[in-house]
Amino acid sequence: MAEPIIEVSDLVKHYPLTRGVLFRKQVGAVRAVDGVDFHLGRGETLGIVGESGCGKSTVAKMLVNLERPTAGSIRYKGEDITRLSGRALKAVRRNIQMVFQDPYTSLNPRMTVGDIIGEPYDIHPEVAPKGDRRRRVQDLLDVVGLDPEYINRYPHQFSGGQRQRIGIARGLALRPEVIVADEPVSALDVSVQAQVINLMDRLQREFELSCVFIAHDLSIVRHISDRVGVMYLGRIVETGTDTEIYEHPTHPYTQALLSAVPVPDPEAREHRERIILSGDVPSPTNIPSGCRFRTRCWKARERCAREVPALAVPAWFRTGGGPAAHDSACHFAADGSIGRSAPGQVVPLEGHGGGPG
Amino acid sequence: MLLEVRDLHVEFRTRDGVARAVNGVSYGVDEGETLAVLGESGSGKSVTAQAIMGILDVPPGRITGGEVVFQGRDLLKLKEDERRKVRGAEMSMIFQDALSSLNPVLSVGDQLGEMFTVHRGMSRKDARAKAVELMDRVRIPAARERVKQYPHQFSGGMRQRVMIAMALALEPALIIADEPTTALDVTVQAQVMELLAELRREYRMGLILITHDLGVVADVADRIAVMYAGRIVESAPVHDIYKAPAHPYTRGLLDSVPRLDLKGRELYAIKGLPPNLTHIPPGCAFHPRCPLARDVCRTDEPPLHEVADTRGSACHFWRECLNG
Repeated sequence: MAEPIIEVSDLVKHYPLTRGVLFRKQVGAVRAVDGVDFHLGRGETLGIVGESGCGKSTVAKMLVNLERPTAGSIRYKGEDITRLSGRALKAVRRNIQMVFQDPYTSLNPRMTVGDIIGEPYDIHPEVAPKGDRRRRVQDLLDVVGLDPEYINRYPHQFSGGQRQRIGIARGLALRPEVIVADEPVSALDVSVQAQVINLMDRLQREFELSCVFIAHDLSIVRHISDRVGVMYLGRIVETGTDTEIYEHPTHPYTQALLSAVPVPDPEAREHRERIILSGDVPSPTNIPSGCRFRTRCWKARERCAREVPALAVPAWFRTGGGPAAHDSACHFAADGSIGRSAPGQVVPLEGHGGGPG
Repeated sequence: MLLEVRDLHVEFRTRDGVARAVNGVSYGVDEGETLAVLGESGSGKSVTAQAIMGILDVPPGRITGGEVVFQGRDLLKLKEDERRKVRGAEMSMIFQDALSSLNPVLSVGDQLGEMFTVHRGMSRKDARAKAVELMDRVRIPAARERVKQYPHQFSGGMRQRVMIAMALALEPALIIADEPTTALDVTVQAQVMELLAELRREYRMGLILITHDLGVVADVADRIAVMYAGRIVESAPVHDIYKAPAHPYTRGLLDSVPRLDLKGRELYAIKGLPPNLTHIPPGCAFHPRCPLARDVCRTDEPPLHEVADTRGSACHFWRECLNG
């Protein structure tokens, strides 16, 4: 395993819910992120997938210090960055940069492209001396596949895909070691998505970046990631290499998620096994006891309501090894290889309308 | 044929000139058939649907030519009050964004019931009972209690079910679903698509599914029409198109989506951008982005060549494309 550049342990972010104007009292909390652990190796791409409201964007914001965690730590090269302030924080921020989802709102419409990409140098002047900046910005434009002549144009003169390239160039300006990309292609058209994904793939190799790639699209995450973490309701429920997760998922949620992804192959539709989950994701203000997925899980038993399953390699896979032996937070984890029917494996064919809860 | 669109043209007047959103689209849907209209933003897929439904914004939009023949009548020739009788009762539409398509100040039950009071002249009490029945049918749990609730009290998936219930209310012969699951998470998308497919079979409705998602199309469609810059560039049964596309744009789209089952290859990226509709390139609109483009493509607009019995491709070099 590559040496970790970021280690996240027991990360928690709760947003308090208050009532009353004069006497404000806390009546509850939105538990957006509720105990997340992962590490990011040097030069590695970690994909984080999950549905809306699972807390993946909140994790991204905490990684770049746009939000302070309620508890837990984020270690960058061994140093906990969640407690930093002032100069020390600024130094760390230089090395962890973010690419945002919406290229339409994340670029200032009144600034030229040159100013947008060059702004990081105003904040961190030590990276590029004043006289050198224009050339650097033009180099960056070239690197992300835009004409360096465009330096004086404004964001509205560009298409969505081109704007996302500008956002990426800004993220790269300070030569960071880590890039956190939150849904960088989901606002783009299909034919343009591929251009941006290929660009990010190439830049990651060229600049030896470590990436956290957050998305809801499982196919894109698989394409770009070395390792994948699956989030549900504020927690990572399963994590492993892309093959482990996509070909040997052991957590029921991952299995359901994967089976729900439409595959662009009409031949497959007759003999695909689909798990249709019942119900909706519970509210993060009122998280179920025990395993938080149990209210939608077809395997849930009494134990699931009592005990919180730990994110670890299930004991029954530990001895045998193999691709099913990876971290999975389920009491009844079982290898549910997708698209293959090995004997003795449990893959339900139909949705279970009357699941518990 | 339940619905046949023939050579439809729609323009929009904009500050930058006339945007030709739809330039001669023809397609048809049979009873019980699912036609997927596939295209990127600005391809004209939604505008075509709006013209069929008669909900196009006029002005700035304008239908400049063509016919929309539905159950033997050209809808474009009907008067507005006759059109209104068709809309909702004979054909209905499901929109992408359920939250902004539902009225936030009316309860869900009132909105569903309105279909029956307006079109069928039912009493409010009977309409309310019908609303509950419909909500049951689209599997909204606890329909009797939830019928009194407002749209904001429903989750995204449940709201989309309300939209579906509303579209189904009068048992129309045709439903047009414009990106019905784009705003939903994948597990919820699976629920909604499954429901839609089931109801379609049950009522034997025709379905036009407008989408940009090649995966969703492969799952549910019988036929596909691929749109680019306001024209249909390829039209074919679903199995044929995925096996061997006959238009370079379709091929490009198929190769540019990352797939769960194929990892590690670099994605094919269609170069360039979709055209500006006020300045559609002459000849074949796709030629500036096309790997097969030659001189003839810059000057002559390709007709929809017959590739096979039920298959067409608007490419001069469809044979080449078909053979990979």
